[in-house]
Amino acid sequence: MLLASVRLFPFPGTASPPRAEPARFCVMPAATDSSDPQNQAGEQAALLTAMARGDKTALARLYDSLAKPLYSLAFRVLNDATEAQDIIQDVFLQMWHKAADYDTSRGSVFSWAATLTRNRAIDRVRMRRRRAELLAESAGELQPAASTGDADSAGSLWAQEKAGVVRAALTQLAPDQQKAIELAYFSGLTQQEIATRLNEPLGTIKARIRRGLLQLRETLPARL
Amino acid sequence: MITERQEELAALHAFGLLEGAERDAFVAELAANPDLRALCDSLVGTAAELALASPPIAPPASLKARILTAAGEPAGTGKVVSFPLLKFAPWAVAAALAVAVTWFASQNLALRNENLTLRSERQLAEVAYKMAQNQLTERSLIAEKMIAELGNQLRQSEDLTRLKVTALASLAGNTKEAQAIAVWNPEQQSGLLTIEKLPTIADTQDYQIWIVDPAYPNPVNGGVFHVGADGKVALGFKPDQPVAQAAAFAISLEKKGGVPKAEGPIVLLGR
Repeated sequence: MLLASVRLFPFPGTASPPRAEPARFCVMPAATDSSDPQNQAGEQAALLTAMARGDKTALARLYDSLAKPLYSLAFRVLNDATEAQDIIQDVFLQMWHKAADYDTSRGSVFSWAATLTRNRAIDRVRMRRRRAELLAESAGELQPAASTGDADSAGSLWAQEKAGVVRAALTQLAPDQQKAIELAYFSGLTQQEIATRLNEPLGTIKARIRRGLLQLRETLPARL
Repeated sequence: MITERQEELAALHAFGLLEGAERDAFVAELAANPDLRALCDSLVGTAAELALASPPIAPPASLKARILTAAGEPAGTGKVVSFPLLKFAPWAVAAALAVAVTWFASQNLALRNENLTLRSERQLAEVAYKMAQNQLTERSLIAEKMIAELGNQLRQSEDLTRLKVTALASLAGNTKEAQAIAVWNPEQQSGLLTIEKLPTIADTQDYQIWIVDPAYPNPVNGGVFHVGADGKVALGFKPDQPVAQAAAFAISLEKKGGVPKAEGPIVLLGR
């Protein structure tokens, strides 16, 4: 049943959000415990700073650290290996060229890279107009499938460990919240389309997304 | 202080689910509210972590090489290659300069007069060109401004004639003091509702807007809203189906989140 999309219009401001100066790292990171999320986040930020100075080795190391989770995300959204590879190439090249613009105050490197990947993948999904097909593919329950690739590098072990935490946090949500959150993140559907898909009023879907995401924020203690 | 509504909009924004005017309004609200911006950044980070919930799949080994190749050599990182003959460069430059000075001295006198004449002509031509360019720019700006003003006047007059303004009144006497005005723009398929002195309701309930269109057997859903302690509401609304003729507007009292078809009592009605 389609329900209305209520749009409240507060008075718009004119100022844009202030943007902090990008953090500068002067020293390449020493070898650290790669599975520690805090160390990993700091190391990734330092790699990005090295990339801003033109260090191609840093790009290679950042690829080793992030490529697998980002590729998995792109593949989950697109369900197409070729398109997922194109997305990952675009994302890493954008990070290579825009490394100097990275702002540590707005989130981790992984958060930035994941947002870039998801946005590009969802743009492609919407462009392809294959929503019905993708819905059927992505509507399945979240199954932590076994890795089909090569053995994990040390750089992606942190992602494997963190993935377990994220999946566990998702399973702590009520099933209807979990479903709404998954569709909101992976499907590329609009609010109204999610409501239609789940056969619920739009207000209910909005409330589920709000409650689900706030609970996830409480459950997931550390930023990546 | 962050309200539930702001939390909801922040969560939807974190997933990129806000669109159009709703997104623009929220972005403007973010700019003016640091607490809300911090919440939003935090939720964006949490949403990004969901990427890790994807079933793990390793990219093909060739992708890394492809990316590193495409990245190319960054500017300014090339190494300087030493060249022994460069040691003799100062002597070569000095010799070349000596020859050049001799030749230029001979040419200098001949060219000086010609150069002065050409420079004067060029300056005059530049002044004439700039004057003509300024005149053209000025005329173009005046014409553009006139066209824009005429367009605005035309649009405003057209928009005003299309608007439908309706006063809503209490139907069952349960909201006698409530005053409501609905303004409907059929072109944009959206409306604006302002209400005063509307009774507050329980958290488990919502007021719901309905648009009566003869083309449909049931009123069209216009969305839900909640009223604050002061009883005042000002909001925009959009129906969930296209409305050809907004014959009347109604507000009913429904359960939280609204219903697809009116079930609760109608508290305000206007034609």
